[in-house]
Amino acid sequence: MPADAQRGEGERRSQRLAERRPGSGEICSAVMFVGLAAAFLVWGLVRVFAAYPAPQQPAQVLRRRELALVSAVADALFPPGGAIPESGREADVAGYVDRLVAASQPRQRALMRALFFLFEHATLIFPAAGGLRGLRRFSSLDVGAREGVLERWRTSRLFLRRLVFTSLRALCTLGYFASPGVLRSLRLAPYAIDTPVCEADLWYPPIGASRASLRRTRADLTPASDGVPLAQGAPLLAGYGKPRA
Amino acid sequence: MSERDVDLRVFADYDRDVVESVDVAVVGSGPGGAVVAKELCDAGLRVALIEEGPPFTPTEYRVDGGLSMARTMREGGLRATVGTVMPTMQAICLGGGSLVNSAICNRAPDFVLERWCERFTLKHTTADDLAPHYDAVGRDLGISATPENVQGRRNLLFRDGCRALGIDCEPIARNVRGCRGSGECFTGCRSRAKQSMDITYVPDALRGGATVLTSARVEVVRTSGRRATGVAGHVVAPFSGRPSHRFRVDAKAVVLAAGCMATPVLLARSGDLANRSGQVGRNLQFHPGVAAMGIFAERVDPQFGATQGYQSKHFLRDGFKLETLWAPPAVLAVRMPGSGAALKQRLAEVPFSAIWDAIGSCNRSVGRVVARRGSFDPRLEWRLHPEDTPILAHALFTLARIFFAAGARSVLPGVHGIPEELHSLEEARILETHPIRPGDLVLGGNHAFCTTRMHGDPAQGVVDELGRCHDFDNLYVADSGVFPQCPSVNPMWTVMALARRTAHAVAATH
Repeated sequence: MPADAQRGEGERRSQRLAERRPGSGEICSAVMFVGLAAAFLVWGLVRVFAAYPAPQQPAQVLRRRELALVSAVADALFPPGGAIPESGREADVAGYVDRLVAASQPRQRALMRALFFLFEHATLIFPAAGGLRGLRRFSSLDVGAREGVLERWRTSRLFLRRLVFTSLRALCTLGYFASPGVLRSLRLAPYAIDTPVCEADLWYPPIGASRASLRRTRADLTPASDGVPLAQGAPLLAGYGKPRA
Repeated sequence: MSERDVDLRVFADYDRDVVESVDVAVVGSGPGGAVVAKELCDAGLRVALIEEGPPFTPTEYRVDGGLSMARTMREGGLRATVGTVMPTMQAICLGGGSLVNSAICNRAPDFVLERWCERFTLKHTTADDLAPHYDAVGRDLGISATPENVQGRRNLLFRDGCRALGIDCEPIARNVRGCRGSGECFTGCRSRAKQSMDITYVPDALRGGATVLTSARVEVVRTSGRRATGVAGHVVAPFSGRPSHRFRVDAKAVVLAAGCMATPVLLARSGDLANRSGQVGRNLQFHPGVAAMGIFAERVDPQFGATQGYQSKHFLRDGFKLETLWAPPAVLAVRMPGSGAALKQRLAEVPFSAIWDAIGSCNRSVGRVVARRGSFDPRLEWRLHPEDTPILAHALFTLARIFFAAGARSVLPGVHGIPEELHSLEEARILETHPIRPGDLVLGGNHAFCTTRMHGDPAQGVVDELGRCHDFDNLYVADSGVFPQCPSVNPMWTVMALARRTAHAVAATH
């Protein structure tokens, strides 16, 4: 190809490229679009994974989102009124689960946290009833929708789904029945028992304390249990009696 | 003996690495290890009893079921099998499972021992062979039938229902003295009536001169050729398991009684010890349990009465045993159907209910224990055999029959795929007719066995009849892992009887 013709072809290519190069207006539009998309994404992520309400009481180990999930499940499992007056919130189920998680070893703690995360966000994949309104994290659903979600987990044909539900409900039920008010209302609160002091009690210090801290002597030994059955109406264990007005 | 005269170490007392030299190191202070330690002390041997958990006194008990499990159970009470998912537990405390079980004591049935002898080439494990050991433990712990005055209505309804149907039943024999019927066996007996190891055999061993190291996790069995030379590990903080000082116990003989879920892990982590047969960790069996709840028109007040006061061995040869049950309300409520207002209505029925359970002799359902990477906790692989599932369904149906015979208004069988509440025997027949899969049942597996099974043939078992590892001259196992098959009844008394026999063999040899 002659040199002139080559030059002409090159100029035409440059011109075509220059024509295709976006102008400043197009760049602005693109930036705005990307910015809006990013903002929408951030907003979505915040809506899904953050923006949880501050807890009413400080927690030992549970994060805001975990407390919100446990409270939301407890509200749906144990609504106010009905056969047992105390609600899940009044029974401080979330506080109990927080203490239980704190008392657990790291692996179990991680498993429980994974359980909370799974349940909280499963409704983004399997939405609750109500169309788009059901496409929210569990704790953002209204109580009616939460009950529906729980029921679907409970009665699922999939064993693993039922297992997840049972595990979560077990934690909340443990918390509900740890409430002295719930136990009192069912007359199931534990009774005070005069615990005999046996020889082993002279040797075993409280957990975490040294044996040097032991103060009991043989003079503190008491007779063994007399085998008299506990009587209904006996005084309740400390912490389970009715709080004074 | 004063409180200062015994050699007991607790976590706060360790201020440096520990080295001990004794005749026998015993790993685990549950029903197996505690008996061995006491018997060896009686024989004049120097013993170190090593326990990973701390001692609990009643001030450390928690009547709340969840917190109690988190404190006294390995993995916070959340351990489960994989394959067929089934929760199972292992205690971590001085006294082991005896602190938090319901103290049930049954001798292994004659037909079970005969089967063991026949199928596992055993010659000296008949009922007559074990009788002296059962008797001695029974005397030591005051094992006797639960008296009627502490049965409570929940247990007596079971008796009445069984009698109405002509089903044999009996008060459960327990290692208890002075039971007050508080129903708190699973969270620790505040009446100090349960004769758990921490207040019986462990104190006996301490008085006999044993060194008891608590909060001490054995991580390796040390060996030289065919001989075990001791054990070593770390002192660990209660509850967190955080390691601190090292310890080493040199010994002329080692007895592993860490439980059938932990002993195989310890052997594996020590270099695949005692495993020429390839049987260490294999043959894992449970007594898978199912439970049903009966609702009565009048209050049962199930919290009153012995935790497990009545049982029926009528169906042992059919593959299951029936017993009454009580647990912290929080634990029982976990199995209630429903949610929301319906769940609260159900929970309100707990005072009107009784819960009874069945444990299955599922010899076909086997699994294995393997060491979990980076952990001393085991991975439990186990599957309920399809042919064992109908046995458990039949057991549930039998419980329903007894409930209705005792006057129950309805029964909650807790089986997925069938009605949550059955109102009559006719309705309950669905338990026999509906095809039930393992995943439909709410199972619990609290007795575990066979992971270091005894066998007369060294190629097929880990230990011999005396509990000595076939591959070693002085390494023994004294926990439920040595059972060749599940015993069909609660295993604690048999564990103690076999452990006592093992202790005598150790004393005679070393």
